[in-house]
Amino acid sequence: MSDGQRSPTRDGQIVVSGLTKVYRNVRAVDNLSFTVEPGRVTGFLGPNGAGKTTTLRMLLNLVTPTAGEATVGGRRYADLTDPLRHVGAVLEASSAHKGRTGLNHLRVICAAAGLPKRRADEALALVGLTPAAKRKFKGYSLGMKQRLGIAAAMLGDPRVLILDEPANGLDPEGIRWMRGFLKSLAQQGRTVLVSSHLLSEMQLLADDVVIIAAGQLVRQGPVDQVIGSMAQGVRVRVRTPQADVLTAALKAESVTVATDEHGTLLIGGVDAPTVGRAALTAGVELHELTTERPDLERVFLELTAGKADIR
Amino acid sequence: MNLVRSELLKIRTTSTWWWLGIGALLSIALAFVFNAWVVNETLSGNGESLGVTGEQATPAAQAANLYTSGQYLGLMFVMLIGILMVTNEFFHQTATTTFLATPRRTSVILGKLVAASLLGFAFWLVTTVIDLAAGALFLSLNDHGTLLGEWTVHRALLFNLLAYAIWTVLGVGIGTLITNQLGAVITAAVLYLIGTQVVGLLFLLLANWLDTMSVIKWQVIWPAAASQIMISGGESEMTPAWWVGALVLVGYALLSGVAGVLITRRRDIS
Repeated sequence: MSDGQRSPTRDGQIVVSGLTKVYRNVRAVDNLSFTVEPGRVTGFLGPNGAGKTTTLRMLLNLVTPTAGEATVGGRRYADLTDPLRHVGAVLEASSAHKGRTGLNHLRVICAAAGLPKRRADEALALVGLTPAAKRKFKGYSLGMKQRLGIAAAMLGDPRVLILDEPANGLDPEGIRWMRGFLKSLAQQGRTVLVSSHLLSEMQLLADDVVIIAAGQLVRQGPVDQVIGSMAQGVRVRVRTPQADVLTAALKAESVTVATDEHGTLLIGGVDAPTVGRAALTAGVELHELTTERPDLERVFLELTAGKADIR
Repeated sequence: MNLVRSELLKIRTTSTWWWLGIGALLSIALAFVFNAWVVNETLSGNGESLGVTGEQATPAAQAANLYTSGQYLGLMFVMLIGILMVTNEFFHQTATTTFLATPRRTSVILGKLVAASLLGFAFWLVTTVIDLAAGALFLSLNDHGTLLGEWTVHRALLFNLLAYAIWTVLGVGIGTLITNQLGAVITAAVLYLIGTQVVGLLFLLLANWLDTMSVIKWQVIWPAAASQIMISGGESEMTPAWWVGALVLVGYALLSGVAGVLITRRRDIS
């Protein structure tokens, strides 16, 4: 295979290439390209207004792109026969008729997609909503609405799951359930693309991340790699009444020392044992010695700094 | 067809049709009592005092009127159902779910149009069965005979069916044009109920001003007037032939259906 040739699109792979959406004067999504692999949970991250929802909606043929293309398993969503058997999507929690029961909401979708009626019962059971099957949607809590949305997405037993802010409105128990559920789907070999702005949750959930800001791709890759790629690596946090002495003692090592507003030292380029040894040798009294690893939140904020302005 | 089944299920699983059905039944009851009174007055020779004269005063025409009691408001109710079939999708944000299940949007709208016509048919059927039973009973008891063999009666019933189907389709079209639920319902109801009177008045003024009654014929361009002309039949100086009304109405249905499909295909759902 020659170098320039692209590998053929795999089943269940999402490919976004050159996707652009212009609303009046705003480039909501600007020449965005990335891929999402099956068998992994991919976090789709970006500040509010970065274009996450618009991108997902273009991927699902709900919004027409100004330019570019998005495909699932090599085909555009509009070209899929039986789309619900390939792709399940959860876009907003409040999308059911308020006077309709949860079960009937799912049955309506089954009818439209040509799926058997029993799938509605099975999907409700899958998300643990069976007791509320005959209750009207307006009586559902936010968490129940999210679960109903997931049930709707699972009706066709799809290979690809796309979720827009699924953790919104969930309580801690609901969030943990969602995390386990999505991870198990990915383990079954399905593609899971989840947009969110809850970064700590994403660090627990995602294998890969796609970070966008102002409609453009900022970074894509496995979570560890993205975090590791940041210049600011591991830092050591030290509290001591003799900051000057310790700083001088560490001069020998090639370190960066910063001080926060409480006088705590943040030392980069060195590990905690080295700092401890230097302190012992210099006879410096230590009140705290902690290793601080960069997390997704810190990386995200650094990557998107200044790009999150209201456009 | 899956989409039609899905659309009918959407209607069946909410209470909307129930309320509109009750409204239609009430309007049948009121209209029937009124029409029955008109029948009695006219057929006992008091038609002049009610302004019912000529062809309209014949027993057959009166029976036709009685057997289609409640259609005036009934047509509005089926139009409202058509409107709600579309605007509900935007009001309850279910358009996303609908278009995810069926990305081919033309099919979705066609499914709604077919489901709407079926629903119009169902409303017509129930209305007609009630009217026939009550009307035949009333006419026989008053020694006028049921008059069910008259072509005038048959034609009124058949064209009434066409009207029910077309008005539901028209409702779907209006819904795609005005997706705001409250806006669409109020606009359509006001235009149907008050607009028809206003249009009638405008044409009367125009006729006076131009000094010719034949201009009143052009009222037919207003859908509700076209519907009346189609159902009542009977050409005169002021009313064009029934088929003109039918053509105008079918034209509006086609126009709103095509506009609905085109608009929906292009719309961004967010």
